[in-house]
Amino acid sequence: MKSAPEERGAAPRPGLPGWKAWTAVAVGGLIGTELRFGAGLAFPESTGAVPWTTLAINVAGSFILATLTTLWIARPKTAFWLRAGIGPGLLGSFTTFSALVMAIDQQIRGGFHATWLAYLGLSLVLGLGAAAAGWKTGKAIADFGGDAQ
Amino acid sequence: MTAILVGIFGVSGALLRFSVDSWFAHHQGSRPHWPWATLAVNVVGSFIIGISLGLTGHLELGADWHAAVASGLAGGLTTFSSWTTATVRLVSETRYRAAALNIGSNLVAGLAAAGIGLFLAG
Repeated sequence: MKSAPEERGAAPRPGLPGWKAWTAVAVGGLIGTELRFGAGLAFPESTGAVPWTTLAINVAGSFILATLTTLWIARPKTAFWLRAGIGPGLLGSFTTFSALVMAIDQQIRGGFHATWLAYLGLSLVLGLGAAAAGWKTGKAIADFGGDAQ
Repeated sequence: MTAILVGIFGVSGALLRFSVDSWFAHHQGSRPHWPWATLAVNVVGSFIIGISLGLTGHLELGADWHAAVASGLAGGLTTFSSWTTATVRLVSETRYRAAALNIGSNLVAGLAAAGIGLFLAG
């Protein structure tokens, strides 16, 4: 909250994030990475099949991030370090794009054409659908809570 | 042991991504918003995961180091949730072409980068 004045104000160039934000991103990044790594150990994926664990992580992360993003747009006073730690930190590290790309690359090379098409299609439809649903959910929560503030 | 390595590399990836985010936010100027930072980290991270898989094939790169680079560094550096959320934000601003470009460019450049990484390491 003390760091807020640097981030707000009318300056067209946002200031560089303070140490609180960097620390929060590191902590969030650790939690997000370990959650994703742990989920992969608990629900292992095999080469020829749709990577359901990664898909579930990416869909869930998209919903939560979109929900929080619209909530934070409606409530810009939320501390920047908190937004950074949960958004880019935790959810950014929890979800992954490289694993998606690598799995599709390997499935194409292995000739699993139905699998990579299904995986790509599901990632786009469910991922974007979850983000759209999150976007609406965040707005609804912000509108609902607007009177109480 | 593997979980510790993955964690350290994951934090590095997240901090690197946050630096790229901050750099682009700082140098945005008056141009309309477009998620360049996410495209940059997703392409670089896809390249890294390609290289790490290629190297594991013929070097004595242990399984824990492969997990650290692929799951930790590349996984922490790249992000799916910012990609989808930014796309929905562009759609909500009725910038449909920018949204479609965001989807296509990440996929095409990401797949190409992973392929180049695999090729260079293999």
